[in-house]
Amino acid sequence: MRYGIGFKLGVLFAAFGILASGLTGYYSYSSSRAMLLAASERDLLTATQVLGRNMLVSLGAIGKDARLLAALPRAAKISQFSKSASIEEDTKVLATIFNAMLETHPEYFQIRLISADMNGLELVRVDRDGKSLTRVMAGDLQEKGHHPYVFETLRLKHGDIRLSKIEINHEEGAHSGLNKPTLRVATPVIADNGRVLGLIVINVDLNGLFGLLKADLPSAYNLYLSNEAGDFLIHPDATRTFGFEQGRRILVQDDFEPVAEVVQGKRESIVMNIEAARMQQDRLVAAFVRLPLGDTAEKRAVIIGLSQPLEHVVREATRLGWYTIQIVLVFSGLALILAALVSRVVTRPMNAMVQAIRSFSKERVISPMPTGRKDEIGVLARSFHDMQKEMVEYLTELKDSRNILEHIARHDPLTGLPNRTLFYDRMQQAIIQARRDKTRLALMFIDLDQFKQINDTLGHHTGDLLLKAVADRMQQCVRESDTVGRLGGDEFVVLLHFIEGQQDALLVAEKIRQAVNQPFDLDGHALVASVSIGVAIYPEHGRDEMQLSVNADRAMYLAKGNGRNRVHPYQN
Amino acid sequence: MRLRRFTHRLIAVLAVSVVLCAPARAVETLRVLAWPGYADSDLVQAFEKRHGVHVEVSFVGSDDVLREKVRANQGGDFDVFAANTAEMQYYIEERLVAPLQLDRIPNTANQLPRFRNLQAIHGITRQGEVFAIPYTYSEMGLIYDRKQFREAPTSMAALWDPRYKGRVLAFDASSHNFSVAAMLLGGSPFQIKDREFDKVAERLVALRRNVLTFYTLPEESVELFREHSVALLFANYGRQQFKQLRDAGADVGYVIPREGALAWLDCWAVTRGAGNKPLAESWINYMLESGVSGELTKRQGLSNTIAADPLANETDKLIWLEPVEDAKRRAALWSHIISGDLPGKLRTR
Repeated sequence: MRYGIGFKLGVLFAAFGILASGLTGYYSYSSSRAMLLAASERDLLTATQVLGRNMLVSLGAIGKDARLLAALPRAAKISQFSKSASIEEDTKVLATIFNAMLETHPEYFQIRLISADMNGLELVRVDRDGKSLTRVMAGDLQEKGHHPYVFETLRLKHGDIRLSKIEINHEEGAHSGLNKPTLRVATPVIADNGRVLGLIVINVDLNGLFGLLKADLPSAYNLYLSNEAGDFLIHPDATRTFGFEQGRRILVQDDFEPVAEVVQGKRESIVMNIEAARMQQDRLVAAFVRLPLGDTAEKRAVIIGLSQPLEHVVREATRLGWYTIQIVLVFSGLALILAALVSRVVTRPMNAMVQAIRSFSKERVISPMPTGRKDEIGVLARSFHDMQKEMVEYLTELKDSRNILEHIARHDPLTGLPNRTLFYDRMQQAIIQARRDKTRLALMFIDLDQFKQINDTLGHHTGDLLLKAVADRMQQCVRESDTVGRLGGDEFVVLLHFIEGQQDALLVAEKIRQAVNQPFDLDGHALVASVSIGVAIYPEHGRDEMQLSVNADRAMYLAKGNGRNRVHPYQN
Repeated sequence: MRLRRFTHRLIAVLAVSVVLCAPARAVETLRVLAWPGYADSDLVQAFEKRHGVHVEVSFVGSDDVLREKVRANQGGDFDVFAANTAEMQYYIEERLVAPLQLDRIPNTANQLPRFRNLQAIHGITRQGEVFAIPYTYSEMGLIYDRKQFREAPTSMAALWDPRYKGRVLAFDASSHNFSVAAMLLGGSPFQIKDREFDKVAERLVALRRNVLTFYTLPEESVELFREHSVALLFANYGRQQFKQLRDAGADVGYVIPREGALAWLDCWAVTRGAGNKPLAESWINYMLESGVSGELTKRQGLSNTIAADPLANETDKLIWLEPVEDAKRRAALWSHIISGDLPGKLRTR
């Protein structure tokens, strides 16, 4: 019983419970995790798309600013009559307007009005110079006609906007904008007659612009920007930007291989797979979106990207994992408790039954069993109970019949007196006791006189009735503790315990002789009988039952020889 | 700036080619430092087989990297390398290269006449000793639109011709532009005298005013040529660029102007630290085999020194690049010129 059924059942239940909660936990964790990661990827892509859209909106707004300036009548006037002195006032006013616009837009480096003639000479120019704004005066103005942002813009129609390539601005004298990543937003200035007079150029600080755009994003996000070929323009590591300026290409598709498809224009956007990022060294998750810039024929585009450390992305998933483990542990604990309870519920009635059966087999006592239950255990208990009851009845019956048999074996069936066997047994006991107590006892041999004649004349039936009646009378003559026995035929014996002396025995014997002498009424036959009685005393007439019996028998024959119906003590 | 170099920047700059079936260490190793395209693995394998040696090729992508690599360990890291004439002077001056024994390079006898007279090529000899052998070159001629030119331009001065204003493409580099302008003014292209600088700068402002723009990449020039009906361009990338334009469908011609065209000339040299000098010279000899040199022309489109280009003329004047008087000064001034400074402002610098 080392591993009882209760234990095994408990283990089974517990294992089942733990397995069920473990598996449920695992599957809910893995599916929730997949959902979480997919949501993170989606979020990142969405953030990138939103950022891209915001960038386009910002660029649109810058284009509108350029258009607004180009539409000012003064801009056209200055472009047309730049050589006349009277234009001085107008240039001053236009410069003030440029100034105001630069003040409201910290992301602007420079605003210029450039002439279509005179090799693209700048007519009005205001630069940002640190914290202040500087108007560049006549001698310092430069000829820009050979720059694509000038000659390409001059080919445009009224209201068209041209976004330049994003480059490092190497133009000397550009103040704050010098050697800074710059985007030039330009639009032509066109006279009423349709002649192109010049252009308005706004130099935009790329980092300033994205600084504003990025302000709303969580700090864990890193921003990337590349041109349509994939050259990095913005990168968390500034040394990895504008590599082409130093004659080397640092490409987004080299750092983030899947972006190649976006660079090639096969896809509009891509988000790195989180599981794939796990394998990589930098462990970054990133999303990239391709954004076409402007509607000029140059097919300019940028690729904008956001990255996030993988740890940041999977943090929620990891937390989810911990929660799941905790829940699984709690439920496993509950399963253990439940298993223990269930095993007890099952084993308690069984234990009770075992207890009952044990005590039954030991003591034949019917202990209470869970017979009231309506389940299999109840049926089993009831069966056991019935079986026990039947066995008890059977055993009782057996005992009774054994008692009867025993009685029959030790008693005379006619008179109900102890037979020879029982009598000698009692005599033996009595002698042992008397020897120990040093007391006396008496043995009488009693023989019914002339019994054969009665039997022969009145029949065996009457003889039997006489024997019974004699036995009754003898019993009435002795103490309850004394024993009257029948040895067979007409021979009776009486054993008297604890007598003082022979005289006591002779008195009792005399009493018996007289009682038998009283007439009997047996089945309508009036009858007179007598007995001859021999008496022997322990220890005087025999120290054991054999000697005592022989001597009592001798005494009885003496009584018979002396004329019957008398008492004769043993005499040496 | 050379086309082959640019295009190969896309390839790993320092890729070390590990030759198949690398032999045991006991086999002698020749360490070659070359530009991409100079030592393709099939040609290297043929050399290894013939000489029973192992060749280890390292590639460089810029003059600066080349200097760095040769300088390290006093030239002891490599046995043989290739550099242009302007750069070679530096290596000779720094005593990083060893004089060559021409009798161990018999293929020099098969070179075109202009490469046989080594004393005439500035920068590869010193005090009668030869330090480098010419291998390949590219000159910077003029490419013109045959529809806009009835006759091919004959002089670099065409770049300044106001008839083509806004239809000229020049190259955005200080050194060559100063050299060309100085040459047109009758001076030395590589040694501009201090008092001549203003004049040269003024010429370059005039060039700025005449051009559509200054390009940097050959692809850019092709694009601009198509988009802006360009008439004339300064071909910094030489015949390779010419071929590229023709392949793009432009009806163009290529000409070496009468003043001569600036040209870079790459030469092989043996380092002072070379382990086995004769083996290194065998390498140079091997490079000059008509088959090997021919492959260079076939694969990279570069002119070799063995077979004459059918389009080139033996009498074309080629001016091999030399170190300039003050590269920093040219660069600083150029930066202002291209930024659009007016001539008056430039003079004050």
